[in-house]
Amino acid sequence: MKAALEEIMSQVTIETLEKLAFMFAFPAEGAGDQAEDSTVTGEVSFSGPFSGTLVITISVDVLKELTANMLGIDDEEESTESQRSDALKETMNIVCGNLLPAIGGDQVVFDIGVPEVLPSMKDLKDKAGIPKESTPSARVTLELDEGKCLLFLFLDGGIPENLVLPQSR
Amino acid sequence: MAINTLIVDDSGVMRSMILKTLRMTEVPLGDIHQAGNGREGLDILNDQWIDLAIVDINMPVMGGEEMIARMREDPELKEIPVIVVSTEGSRARIERLEHMGVAFIHKPFTAETVRDTINNILGLGENDESCT
Repeated sequence: MKAALEEIMSQVTIETLEKLAFMFAFPAEGAGDQAEDSTVTGEVSFSGPFSGTLVITISVDVLKELTANMLGIDDEEESTESQRSDALKETMNIVCGNLLPAIGGDQVVFDIGVPEVLPSMKDLKDKAGIPKESTPSARVTLELDEGKCLLFLFLDGGIPENLVLPQSR
Repeated sequence: MAINTLIVDDSGVMRSMILKTLRMTEVPLGDIHQAGNGREGLDILNDQWIDLAIVDINMPVMGGEEMIARMREDPELKEIPVIVVSTEGSRARIERLEHMGVAFIHKPFTAETVRDTINNILGLGENDESCT
């Protein structure tokens, strides 16, 4: 179940990055879940038939490219921190918005919270308000030209036993 | 005919993306107005002549669904075509919006989808290959 969940997370995120910002990501092979030193982390919570939090940690260089591509900024221009924060929030919103129906189907209703960018990545769980003892129900590491993108899906109470995942898309 | 357009989304980056995409579609754009939530959107609709409203759903202060419901209750605003651009994945919610007479575009979107949806809702003619 966890592997299938991670494959769906991976597919949804890859498709989102490609359609949103023309960025091509690939599942990392054999890599750990540690991003580079210079990263930005954000989270978005959701509730519905199952509830939880999606946490994304992204290399600063990936975020800069993501922001520039979303805004159509020229190479010579530099995005502002505010624009990068906004771009990460919107990306999290879109990934989460597409992930939940991919997991739970389109007949159920989820409420997605307001995405937040966290100050730093020193202690992911503390910053995201996630209890230290909890482990993610699924985690994905994606590689891009500019760096890495890590996703952690924390489901309250773990993966529901009655969850029937659709076929991978 | 130039289309005066209102873009309502709490994300400035997404408003910029929608505007960038609109400019790629060769839809004849007039004045472009932007709002960060439904309340601001209604204020602009009451002050400006708007031909098309492009509205997000999940926003602070006032969400898109409430904004559209208020538009549909207002004799001055109820006929304005509305396109919802959202990540919403619930079929029930999408159908509820469609019953309010709006078109729906799922995020992330392509320029072709935006162009075709605008042409369809405004009756601007057949789809073509004009996205660049």
